[in-house]
Amino acid sequence: MSNSQSPIIEMRDVSHSYGESKTPALDHINLRIAPGDFVAFIGQNGAGKTTLAKMLNGTLIPTSGDVIVGGHNTREAGLDVLARIVGFVYQNPDQQIFSKTVRDEVAFGPRCLGLDQAEIEKRVRHALELVGMEKDAETYPFLLGRGQRQKLAVAAVISMSTSILVVDEPTTGLDLRGTRSIMNLLCQWNQEGRSIIIITHDMNIVAEYARRTVVMAGSRILADGPTRQVMADVEILKQAFLEPPQITRVMNALRGRGFQFPKNVFTVSEFYEEFKKALTERREP
Amino acid sequence: MPVGYSIYVDTPSSIHQKVDPRTKLVAMIAIFALAMEFQHPLILGLLMTMVILVGISAHLSFMRFLPILIGASWFLILGVVIWPAYIHQGRVVATLFGLNITSDGLLFGVAMGLRVGLLLTAAGVWMMTTSPQKMTLGLLKMGLPYKAGLTMSTAIRFVPLINAERTKIIEAQRARGLNVGRGSPLSRLRKYVAIIGPMVLRSVDLAEMLATAMDARGFGARDGITAITEIEMTAWDWAIIAFCVIAVLIGLVLRLLGIGVIVKGFV
Repeated sequence: MSNSQSPIIEMRDVSHSYGESKTPALDHINLRIAPGDFVAFIGQNGAGKTTLAKMLNGTLIPTSGDVIVGGHNTREAGLDVLARIVGFVYQNPDQQIFSKTVRDEVAFGPRCLGLDQAEIEKRVRHALELVGMEKDAETYPFLLGRGQRQKLAVAAVISMSTSILVVDEPTTGLDLRGTRSIMNLLCQWNQEGRSIIIITHDMNIVAEYARRTVVMAGSRILADGPTRQVMADVEILKQAFLEPPQITRVMNALRGRGFQFPKNVFTVSEFYEEFKKALTERREP
Repeated sequence: MPVGYSIYVDTPSSIHQKVDPRTKLVAMIAIFALAMEFQHPLILGLLMTMVILVGISAHLSFMRFLPILIGASWFLILGVVIWPAYIHQGRVVATLFGLNITSDGLLFGVAMGLRVGLLLTAAGVWMMTTSPQKMTLGLLKMGLPYKAGLTMSTAIRFVPLINAERTKIIEAQRARGLNVGRGSPLSRLRKYVAIIGPMVLRSVDLAEMLATAMDARGFGARDGITAITEIEMTAWDWAIIAFCVIAVLIGLVLRLLGIGVIVKGFV
């Protein structure tokens, strides 16, 4: 993040412990996220990713340190204020869906924010269009498939028009088509200038979509930087019990067999291009 | 160690470790019967004190009874307020809004409050001294079908799971701007639909998943089951059960003789 840009999220020496636990879930975290950034939090289970994310919408208040979101300290800002800034999509859509129709479900958030009916309808329409569910507006949400319900959960948060969207494990339980659909949706939302934060274990997703990656291990931030730079640091990933995307590992293995590949290849399309180039070079010595 | 939610307190007392869960169940039912046999606050108060003393002898601190006693005190207040309006026998002690408040009406009100207190205390001691596993095992030994026993222990085990789900659902709805603490009582009640709805659906989902997982592992494939913990009735157990039966019978005779009864015609 450039110093000239003021952050939309700032964590200042944040530590957090659950209850009487002596082991902190977060240990002296300092982090700044710029508006419009696309950040992935990665790390093994228990690394502190979800705890950190829950700090952003005030679900958790740090034991020490401060979390500043959109200029508001989460210690002081009320629920109403933070819900207008941070949208949070939880891992399991069934933990939030309750309405009789898709439309009502998407309208719930804007209604809670006290918006007028015209504005609610406008937002619902926009959110449903964005996720491609206009035709399902009157459908009972539990008749939808898992992927559609996940989309609905995203739409329900998008309709709140927050400048930050936190998505916990956006692709769990989704097939490839569902995963692509959700991730493209997040990209589209990000292009509108919103900050996207995803918490995931899926390194392929991180490599393909996130511009910045934060690696967490043992309640601390182990690495924080541009995704390509972080992904190329195998040692750091190893420390966090993570592995680069499969395609990167294939490429590394081939490099050991005489192929001249660059280190920063993380997607299948990049691999294809590099492999084509390498084969051409071999044919034309 | 009990699995899941229960108010069971694990202590090394004889009541916890040596008395059979069936005996404790019989003792609790006997206390319930005695509570219904008597109407006099003195007898009901004595029985309640006795139950608390049994609990204390099982290494349960008095503080554990406090929530029960606080709950019971509401029934005591309710009894004293309501019953004098219906019981008119006995000496008139006051007249309120043209209604004669009699000593028998007040005593009966106190007795009814104590009766609820006694029932709650006895059930509390039973639950605090009997682990859910032994409770289920006791019922199975008494002839409860094991599927019903499993349903019971599963229900207990599910409480913390459902509670964790509830926390997540509240977090998810709060993140969408839901503030259940704001608004009129009616609007607050309506807001709870956003929490109760997903909770019910998730509970059904969890139950279905558990049922499928158990079917997949062959649950119910054959009759007859074995238990990890075995229980056995001892001479002490039989002595306690005999004491309970005699106490209930004596109570019945006293009731028929009108001893411990304040108002005839009322239970």
